[in-house]
Amino acid sequence: MPLPVARVTTQTAVAEAEKTEPKEILATPWNVIVHNDPINLMSYVTMVFQRVFGYSRAKAERLMLEVHNKGRSLVWTGDREQAEFYVRQLHGYQLLATMERVEG
Amino acid sequence: MSGLEPVMAAVLLEVPAILGNRDRPEARRRLLPDPQPGDPLASAEWHRLMDGELLHLFASAGEVFERDLSGLRPDRGEITFPAKHIPAWMSAINQARLILGELHHVDEADMTLESVDSDEARRGAIARIMVLAYLLEHLVNHTQH
Repeated sequence: MPLPVARVTTQTAVAEAEKTEPKEILATPWNVIVHNDPINLMSYVTMVFQRVFGYSRAKAERLMLEVHNKGRSLVWTGDREQAEFYVRQLHGYQLLATMERVEG
Repeated sequence: MSGLEPVMAAVLLEVPAILGNRDRPEARRRLLPDPQPGDPLASAEWHRLMDGELLHLFASAGEVFERDLSGLRPDRGEITFPAKHIPAWMSAINQARLILGELHHVDEADMTLESVDSDEARRGAIARIMVLAYLLEHLVNHTQH
């Protein structure tokens, strides 16, 4: 029964976090970062940004160029659950995406 | 899709075999990257929960692509497949490009043709990545218009 086990583990982890982390830390926003890689096409990355985030072509291209020229781009900031959703989506499109808590 | 040169058709036919390397460690690391490289515990939990679903997504796209290859007519330089399969095609072609890149340690200089490699297998992999890039670009442009 892998699903119930996973659910219990997640709930336990959240409960543990709530015990040990102040509410303001739990509410801290998270950044979603996309990293450059030598293979993914610029046009493909632009299309993915439009599809995943609903960004305009212009904004998607600006972020893609930042990835290409600077090696990484902060593409979204918000709550942890949504950040995880976006990272999962970006991995589904085979982009190198990570998430990190916004430094206070 | 029409106007396929023989080399493009040949590389398309190689894609299922390239995708057969999906479970090699280098390929898995690239297709299933760490979401929080600085937090091994969080990344391990992520992989436990997400990897199966992603691998299923990648495998399904590869299966759709492989079935559609039966519509390839190399003599006419064309292939016909349903438009709703374009996302699966983009996924399969991009997976193949990334897998080749990982297995042959392809870097930025290789992709800009700034380096000349003496390794024949590596040169072949880079050529395949380039051919697949052309086809992927074609599909991306199709979805944008």
